Amino acid sequence: MRARFVVVLAVAVGLLMPLPLLAHHGSAAFDTGKRVTLKGTVKEWVYSNPHCLLRLEVTGEDGQVVQWVAEGQAPNVIFPAGYRKDTFKFGDHVTVIVEPVKNGRPLGRIIQTVLADGRTLGVASSAGAAPVPQP
Amino acid sequence: MRNSIFVVMVGLFMAAPGLSVDTFAQSSAPGGWPAPEWNKPPITDANRKPAPRRSLAGMWGPAAGAGAGTQGSGVQLKPNNGRPENQLPYTPYGLELYKSHQALEGADAVLPAQDNDPRNRCEPLGVPRYNHYNVRLTQIFQDEYKVVILYHYDNRWRVIWTDGRQLPRPVDGGVDIAGDIREPRFFGYSVGRWRDDYTLEVQTVGTMPEDRVWLDSTGRPISDRVRVTETFQRVDYDTLVWSETIDDPKVYAKPWETLKLPMRLHDPRTDIQEYYCSPAEQENYNRLFGNTAGGK
Repeated sequence: MRARFVVVLAVAVGLLMPLPLLAHHGSAAFDTGKRVTLKGTVKEWVYSNPHCLLRLEVTGEDGQVVQWVAEGQAPNVIFPAGYRKDTFKFGDHVTVIVEPVKNGRPLGRIIQTVLADGRTLGVASSAGAAPVPQP
Repeated sequence: MRNSIFVVMVGLFMAAPGLSVDTFAQSSAPGGWPAPEWNKPPITDANRKPAPRRSLAGMWGPAAGAGAGTQGSGVQLKPNNGRPENQLPYTPYGLELYKSHQALEGADAVLPAQDNDPRNRCEPLGVPRYNHYNVRLTQIFQDEYKVVILYHYDNRWRVIWTDGRQLPRPVDGGVDIAGDIREPRFFGYSVGRWRDDYTLEVQTVGTMPEDRVWLDSTGRPISDRVRVTETFQRVDYDTLVWSETIDDPKVYAKPWETLKLPMRLHDPRTDIQEYYCSPAEQENYNRLFGNTAGGK
């Protein structure tokens, strides 16, 4: 059973952008460095705190439909990267690269997005953020 | 008539420390709603302007970028990453408290849905934790009696009195103000004094007890006997350095430094997006993501 979404270990895209330590929920749940590429249809885009949520319907080659939820940081954090309340619309066909959770559920946090109009948006977190200065 | 003009002039003079619009170019933002600008040129000898006397007023953001004040892995100067140099001088009680906290960040992080961080119930974070939680655009106003800090996260505000009043005396269950016992507060009782024309030193006592607030997002504890000392040093016109030391003998065997965060002046007209902890949105997030993500 081979789904359309492709699991890609952190080699190609994964190393493009490290995730800053911004998570509201902590990082322990995520499979750090792993990447999953989702090609699917937008069901809902929730622009809210503490995280924005993208519900995405992904259909595998066998016809099986998987409901993914990809999260972004809060609106004020992802605004500089170009994410807006109307970035995703119901029915849009988009490609989203996520860092999945460890437990195998169809959940992850957004690393990169290719929108229906071809635009690419980066990590759904604080653009331009520098690492926290250490002593 | 002359009295009216005098009143207006006095009013403008009083407001002057809070006005810095003239130092910024006319906004070219669409519709006149400027978004935060984080890619500012560095301050050098060529563009450095002198700091105004006894003024912290302005819209400030972490100088190193939008995420530089996040402190997701613990207080800035002592991240909770297990390294020996970042071990804290816990008292036995303090260590017991730390172990009772199930945090989502740091060396002992737990999975979502297993945590007991009061933040996730949208409780006020209190002082000093607001200084260590997503410090982003921070507005400071002041008049001759007080300095007011508007924190971005959860739209919270805090008063620091600079009118010469005494710092209350901490007692069990609150503070003593001239024999009057007052309640503990999330923001405590803050009093500031100008150490020199460019440095305000702030003392805070009377904060909430340890079963209500944490120090940071990694579950480090803080008690109601903490004395927080902050300094706000206006290094130049565009730079403010925000430092903090905590002295909490109930939890830590000695005082230690938690923060030294350079802040950069931003356009005072910058539009700040809301960053609320909404219980309804939190519940929705947990339903769609958090609870499942944290499951086995």
